[in-house]
Amino acid sequence: MRIATLCGMGFGTSMMLKLFIDDILKAEGIRAEVVPWDLGTFKGQQADIVVAAKDFESHLRSITARVVLIQNLVDKVEIKTKLLDAIRSLSSEASDQG
Amino acid sequence: MQIFLFILALIKLPAIILGLISMVGLIVQRKEFGEVLSGTLKTVLGLLIMSVGIGALINALIPIQNMFQAGFSGTSLTTFVTFDEGVVGAIQSANVGEIGAAIAWTMLFGYLIHILLARFTPFKYLYLTGHMIWIHAGAFAILFYSFGLSLFWTVVLASLVDGAYMTFMPALAQPVMRKITGSDEIAFGHGQTLLNMLAAWVGKLIGKKDDSAENVKVPQGLNFFRDMAISISLIMLVVALVAAIIAIVQVGIPAFEESISGGQNWLVFTILQALGFTAGVLVLLQGVRMLIAEIVPAFKGIGEKVIPGAKPALDCPVIYPFAPNSLIIGLISGTIAQVVAMVILALIGWPVPLPSMIAAFFASGAGAIFGNATGGRRGAWAGGFLWCFVGWFVISFAYKFQVFGDLTAMGASALGFTVPDAIIPGIVIWAIAKLFGV
Repeated sequence: MRIATLCGMGFGTSMMLKLFIDDILKAEGIRAEVVPWDLGTFKGQQADIVVAAKDFESHLRSITARVVLIQNLVDKVEIKTKLLDAIRSLSSEASDQG
Repeated sequence: MQIFLFILALIKLPAIILGLISMVGLIVQRKEFGEVLSGTLKTVLGLLIMSVGIGALINALIPIQNMFQAGFSGTSLTTFVTFDEGVVGAIQSANVGEIGAAIAWTMLFGYLIHILLARFTPFKYLYLTGHMIWIHAGAFAILFYSFGLSLFWTVVLASLVDGAYMTFMPALAQPVMRKITGSDEIAFGHGQTLLNMLAAWVGKLIGKKDDSAENVKVPQGLNFFRDMAISISLIMLVVALVAAIIAIVQVGIPAFEESISGGQNWLVFTILQALGFTAGVLVLLQGVRMLIAEIVPAFKGIGEKVIPGAKPALDCPVIYPFAPNSLIIGLISGTIAQVVAMVILALIGWPVPLPSMIAAFFASGAGAIFGNATGGRRGAWAGGFLWCFVGWFVISFAYKFQVFGDLTAMGASALGFTVPDAIIPGIVIWAIAKLFGV
């Protein structure tokens, strides 16, 4: 699984989200690659889940990946709940097809 | 002997030193061999990509400078671009007198000192903003190097100042951060702190905290400024066109196309330079991204082992969701402030930093949020305005008096530092050094 975090520069907020998500995944025992993306170049890239701040919603309308929008970027509980929901629905979808 | 010389020459290269830092960090985190290899290589490539971007950026910038010079020939007006990543990237890539290596070592030892200070003082903050870790290491290394110190003493002194900066600045901002975020969970880790605190202080003086700018609903239509490609293109198009028109008014189109654009149509040439500059910035930022993507998780891993429960000091956008209206107020007031400051600087004959949407959005935005936290709506307007207004003078001062030495000789022509947390301590240390006749 490939999870992308998005911000304007691709190394500030997205990096922070990546660090938070790495911790969450480690605690949950989930294996995934987490990559920070920037607004300028993300359109050519692939991921299963994209995590970004709420105000990036308009930039993510055309994306095929599952989008997780975070209201409060430093609320680890919110990030964890929303991310795990997305991972769960992604894996149930995969098992439906399998 | 040959192999020894080869290794010695290799580990003096900034790219290799940073690669080694990543490698050690990844090994300490017990990553698999494949991850260690790719992380190390990506760090090395990051620095090389950066130098490609720097080359493109400077190549596009020089003709724009020439236009301003042609336009203001006979006067002493100088302009420059204020862009921290550009300065440190250019100087580290050029590696004049092994200053690039000193920057890389300062990044490592400065961070170790930061971790030790956080461990043994009450200031339990862990600085995690990657590009700021790099920029401050770069700024302080360049500062001490410019005093003519040996590489050893440059790294020692720069690391001490850098470690102190990363530990104490988040502590300074924390009282206001508590007001902004309504919790004590995160700290502020960005080079804007000193001017943000000025904004908070002025906000407290002139405003009312309860009259918050966040109580009104305003449209968030200016959010596209977050996209570097768009904001830098727009601002550089305006700057380059203004420069071209000023030059043409002075020398005429034929002379412009002969001496500046090399025979190319003036308008096409001008647009190309503006977009070429943006392309250079985007390549540079891609390099920065690869450079810090491996180092930051490694630093975080080590830091959390040594200082359990430390508050992470994070990049400025973490506070934006708490005050989106103030952010927009900052963008508007910061842009106005830049124009006003540019006019005054030009009139008194100081070097003029060209407009920067990055500073208006990210810096004045944060300044307005700090101002709003202590002084409400009035504080937000004053904070956003003051950040860029005072900031432009500080930036111009450092460029005019070469506080960080002759940046052009070190490889960064027509570029200057932006972040006050590097410049203001830099000016203090520079002034003390001057007193002792350095």
